[in-house]
Amino acid sequence: MKFFCSSAQRSPMAVSKRIIWMTGILLAMLIILGPIYLLVKYSISDGPSITTGGKPIPFWPLHPTLSVYGYLFSDRHFYAVLGNSVLIALMTVACSMLLGVPAAYILGRYKIPGRRIVLLGIISVRLFPDIASVIPIVEFFIFVGAHQTYMGVILSHTLLALPYVIFIGMGAFETIPHELEDQASVMGANRFQTFYSVLVPLAVPGLAAAAIYTFLLSWDEFIFAYFLTFGRQEMFTLTLYLNGLKYAEPQNLLAATSVCLSIPVIAFSMLVQRYMIAGISSGSIK
Amino acid sequence: MSSLNKQVMAAPFKKCRDAVVKVWPLLPAMLYLVGFQIIVLVYLLALSFSSPRGNSTVPSCSSFALIMSDRRFREALFNTTLFTVAGTPLELIAGLVFAFLLYRSFILRNIIRSVFLIPLALPALVTAMMIYVLFDYPGGHVNHLLLGNYPPFPAIIGEPICWRASLLTALSLSLVGKVWRDMPISMLIILAGLNGIDPELLDAAKSMGASLRQRFFRVIVPLIIPSISVVVLLRSVEMWKEFIFPFVLAGRYRFLGTLIDFYYNETGNPHHAAAVAIIMVTCIVGTTLVLHKLLDVLKRYAAPL
Repeated sequence: MKFFCSSAQRSPMAVSKRIIWMTGILLAMLIILGPIYLLVKYSISDGPSITTGGKPIPFWPLHPTLSVYGYLFSDRHFYAVLGNSVLIALMTVACSMLLGVPAAYILGRYKIPGRRIVLLGIISVRLFPDIASVIPIVEFFIFVGAHQTYMGVILSHTLLALPYVIFIGMGAFETIPHELEDQASVMGANRFQTFYSVLVPLAVPGLAAAAIYTFLLSWDEFIFAYFLTFGRQEMFTLTLYLNGLKYAEPQNLLAATSVCLSIPVIAFSMLVQRYMIAGISSGSIK
Repeated sequence: MSSLNKQVMAAPFKKCRDAVVKVWPLLPAMLYLVGFQIIVLVYLLALSFSSPRGNSTVPSCSSFALIMSDRRFREALFNTTLFTVAGTPLELIAGLVFAFLLYRSFILRNIIRSVFLIPLALPALVTAMMIYVLFDYPGGHVNHLLLGNYPPFPAIIGEPICWRASLLTALSLSLVGKVWRDMPISMLIILAGLNGIDPELLDAAKSMGASLRQRFFRVIVPLIIPSISVVVLLRSVEMWKEFIFPFVLAGRYRFLGTLIDFYYNETGNPHHAAAVAIIMVTCIVGTTLVLHKLLDVLKRYAAPL
């Protein structure tokens, strides 16, 4: 193997190493994909495939069905919860981008004094444990009347997402050649016009990645949503709804909700990867 | 005052004004972040170092004294320490194993790497629920597997295990979930370290007669010590902070994170909750400093010859 010797070998020893390595890869794939497969399997299982009366649970449902998804998508409460999650996530994206993009522009384009301290200050927000900072924030929101409101959850999610937006956005702005800004200035554009019409369009792939990341962060955030909406079911997000299904039997509803919560995250994560690659390549001078 | 003096006095003001004009788009975000950080610190200190008396609160350390004498706090501190001590090396080992599997160049490497990254894309709560379902009592897949109901897998236990019913198994369950989900982070950091190793070094070690084991322990490990240090530091912090996995999988056994939830939401005592939060932060800072020192020593001893 490469980490034991850099050149390829064909000796019996190398063959046995190769077999061990392939077994390792297969085992690792099983460890990663096995539980996910079983979760999806539970979500399409009928009752007798889960409640087996002591017999082993089959690895494939006896009668695969999408009835749980049908139930889920015909449930008004589920739609309300879904609406809450989407609303909070979209508003968090709007607030984070509104605050984060101009900050990323300054930090990415200008050499300001104390830049390192500013960056350290920004990232330090994420170093503090969420579970430790949630109590002060809830108490503050109770004081200002934002507790158990959408605004409270949105503001707290913005606090969590803002450092990422600034750092990802900064990377996007840094890659744009300075000559473009100079040319816009020579052609009479003021600073805002240059920012809005020249820099932002070029930074769109990176900013899109930041927006998607923010959406996902808010979509699957649990701690702040839990503490800030505690006791107010009509404000529950998907994660809180899922937590409420913990003791529900059979577990196909729990599994189906988990799948519904995960699909956008996995799909958007792949999109983020693509945009990030695009963000890097958009920096090259054309 | 002469016009020259006016100009001299106005110069710093102008410079300051120009600086503000230059950086003003940064200010809203900075005010937001700094403002909330101040709120968090002030409220956390004010809540933890005060206690209610009548209709008002008075400065006091009684919250700390009270939680120290609370059996639940001592248990939570013990459980979280155990979780961190067991979980950090487990995350490191998982990261090392997966990174070594991917280190080799092979067809489909990128696809397999993407598969290995999937746990990171899943929400932590979903992972916790997945583990919850698989380790269900009495009829989860894991119990059936261990009972020998899926041949050719042998029977290891005679009776199904209620995984969430004892501290050891509930803690193990939380560790399984946490390590499964966070393994890609450790893997990526170690993989970056492995990719930085010059292959010629390995060839040189081999040509000098170093065995497989010697090459691993004397060449590779010392060269990836910086990556290992980062993994150990980051993962230990994450272990102390953990909330979701113990919350879902070890509900009966409190950790520092879930104790904050208990004090705040169940007993309605923000002072005790804030005091636990302060202790959690202190534990994180203390662990980071100790580990930093230890890893420094390790780096010196393990430096490649």
